[in-house]
Amino acid sequence: MNEKDSDILSKVENYYQDYGLRARELKDQGQKVIAYLCSLVPVEIISAAGFLPFRIRGDVHEPITKGDTQLETIACPFMRSCFDVSLKRRYDFCEGLVLPHACDSITRTYSVWRYSLDLPYSHFINLPHTVRGPSMDFFKAELETFRKSLGRFAGKEISDGDLAESIDLHNENRNKARALYELRKSDPPLVSGTEIATILTVGMRLPVKEANNLFDEVLEKLKQRKEAPFKKAPRILIDGACVDNIDFFKLIEDSGANVVADSLCIGTRDYWPKTEVGGNPVDTLAHRYLDKINCPRTYREKVGETYQEDLESRFGDVGSLIKEFNVDGVILYLYKYCDPFGFEVPARKAYLDSLKMPVLYLEDEYSTGTIGRLRTRIQAFLEMIGS
Amino acid sequence: MAEEQKKEERKRRRHATEAAGKIGPMVKATIGGTVKAREEGKSIAYAFIVCSYDEIIRAMDIVPVWTENYAGICGAKRDATRFLERAESLNFSRSLCTYALCGLGFDQWREELGEMPPDAPWGGQAKPDFMLSSGQILCDPRNKWYQAVQQYMPDVPIYNVGLPWPLYEDDIDVADVEDYYIKYIVEELRGLIKFLERQTGRKMDWDRLSELVDLGERTWNLIWETYELRRAVPTPMGTGDAMNTMVPMVFMLGTQEGYDFFLELNKELKDKIARKEGVVKDEKYRLLWGGGLPSWFALTDFNYFNSKGAVFPVETTYRMIEPIYRLNIPDTNDPIERLAWRWIRYWTYWYDKARKRPGSEPDVERLIQYIEDYQIDGIVMHEAFSCRTWHLGLIWQLNQLKKIYKPIPVLRLGSNRQKKGEKRELPSLILESDIVDISSYSEVDTRNRIDAFIETLEQTKKNNR
Repeated sequence: MNEKDSDILSKVENYYQDYGLRARELKDQGQKVIAYLCSLVPVEIISAAGFLPFRIRGDVHEPITKGDTQLETIACPFMRSCFDVSLKRRYDFCEGLVLPHACDSITRTYSVWRYSLDLPYSHFINLPHTVRGPSMDFFKAELETFRKSLGRFAGKEISDGDLAESIDLHNENRNKARALYELRKSDPPLVSGTEIATILTVGMRLPVKEANNLFDEVLEKLKQRKEAPFKKAPRILIDGACVDNIDFFKLIEDSGANVVADSLCIGTRDYWPKTEVGGNPVDTLAHRYLDKINCPRTYREKVGETYQEDLESRFGDVGSLIKEFNVDGVILYLYKYCDPFGFEVPARKAYLDSLKMPVLYLEDEYSTGTIGRLRTRIQAFLEMIGS
Repeated sequence: MAEEQKKEERKRRRHATEAAGKIGPMVKATIGGTVKAREEGKSIAYAFIVCSYDEIIRAMDIVPVWTENYAGICGAKRDATRFLERAESLNFSRSLCTYALCGLGFDQWREELGEMPPDAPWGGQAKPDFMLSSGQILCDPRNKWYQAVQQYMPDVPIYNVGLPWPLYEDDIDVADVEDYYIKYIVEELRGLIKFLERQTGRKMDWDRLSELVDLGERTWNLIWETYELRRAVPTPMGTGDAMNTMVPMVFMLGTQEGYDFFLELNKELKDKIARKEGVVKDEKYRLLWGGGLPSWFALTDFNYFNSKGAVFPVETTYRMIEPIYRLNIPDTNDPIERLAWRWIRYWTYWYDKARKRPGSEPDVERLIQYIEDYQIDGIVMHEAFSCRTWHLGLIWQLNQLKKIYKPIPVLRLGSNRQKKGEKRELPSLILESDIVDISSYSEVDTRNRIDAFIETLEQTKKNNR
């Protein structure tokens, strides 16, 4: 955090550094915590059941050791790290685990997670791969199965009213996150990419009401910044999957750029789409998680006559962010062994090329060990944009 | 291609059965047939095996191009590297599925040239009229590959068939959810038929489809009975051959040719058993190929195992069938519903068994059943670095198996210097390489590991005598 003596920002920093601190405190007060991975788990249902949804985070500073005794190293390194720190009991305050059908690395290891952590509750949510009518009906049925299953564990029926209230709270949270992004639009931005990443990462591990209050306080504090504490610099958007640590943001910003936008899972991919209010809450949740969240694991049927129209349909949200945040360059940042995103790299690059947007594609391990190599490439990219 | 590699190509795997020896020419003819079909104006589809649509495309006279198979052929001929490198040059990471990378590199090259790439293995892979993706519960590449290749042939449409199945859960019985799974799969397959009717301009012949589903079911039963013959000691057929006979199983389902192949294999195995003719003369160790796709460029490793007296009477890989009569498929005259039930009941077949053994899990339960049925002495798996679909969870399966299943009696010296009887787990080996990318493979290292494993098996046998 850049401001001295900033209580609320220090609190956020503290929550970030001692990840799980608040969940542990709440657990001691009797609050049950349900862990989950990925943006495709409908946290509204978990909150509606009275649980704290806790997004598992890996640790780029922690070598993967124990996890590798149970899992092959050919899995997504982010997921491996999450599994490793979970096995090391870092999140032993959790009483349940929910995984979605996101990618092979998560799906294929569901049993491994389930048996290895041996939690009282676990559930797998099966998202279909397409968004056609039958897929939506199937997914609604899957969400009803999850609602019943979690309700049994909670010892209460999760009513439509519970869901509607939870949907409102989580939508409010997304509105506040979006308000934070508004502070990035000025040049230079009033808030850094590192700060936003810290706040959003923390927000996904708090009870939603607390997260809303925290975001309010943070917004109030940041709005007091009359002058940007940063210099004018190339404005970067990070495109990719789940980046749940600030090291990569810091690396880019320390290299002389401002990260002003993202299309990441702990970012606009998850925080931008809201659940429709009114109507059957399970239907609207199905619509949000299957259709509105634009993740490459969900197949989008080809739109239009030309390939360019198809690209626009698939990646137009990234294009909109580029315009909205006046972006100078995009860093496409993926972890190794990521099949859903990996097969999209040439198409994403083709789309960004069509916008005449400079792109740097980086494939990385989930480790700070690669930072030196990344720094060199990022600096060269920034020089290229600058020239 | 380096001269050394060409020599390697000529070193072919020895087959135990005559039937397996016929597969190579059969596949070559099939691939050549797709190129000819293109010239004749027949409808051609890129397709994936084990997607429940075999009988549908056969009933509509659509010629499938099994793209994973073609990548496997390139791998087996040690001629995949140039296609992998081309895909890499297009910004596809080398860590992705190498079946898909090989296909993407090949297709982009073919489209750029307007003709087959030079010296394309077995005449090359024909351009399709449409592509049939498959959104299953596993295999991200099947969901993404054809969408990626559309960048190089944007005029070729895709239908992506949703084919989920419920994962194994403690608190959810398959019976509680299978109705909506069946409903969904039926709708997806009906949607596929509408798509194919639009693309081909032909209507589905529903009577023919029913006949082919019958044929497919009879083929499943026949394959199961045939593979069960491999329980014999000595076993008449090993996994090396099964990596060939998977072709009629999963590339020819719903064809008379596929069915007839297994009739012939069935007879050949019975004759071998009557003559007590095994894969090797002196069968010392019976191994289970417990997971992982093979390295198509190194199938001679199976011969190396054989040279040590080790045989593989059974494998989980490409044994994509169960006897239909055990699946309890509800009565229905609707061929699409039958396909949907067959799909769900196949993938959930081991769930009930797993529930009965604490700590077990369907994949582990299947290993235990095969160990017992086929009198197995050890387990071998293969971890292909580029495929998460079939190669994640193997270590865990072995760990879990060791915890809950210890079939080998041993005598150990107790703290009071008294011998006491205990049981220990089966020896196991995980080989590491890839399905197509030969740069991941070291023959020397692989064979050293096999040698060490054989020594362990020998030691285990000695202790057990």
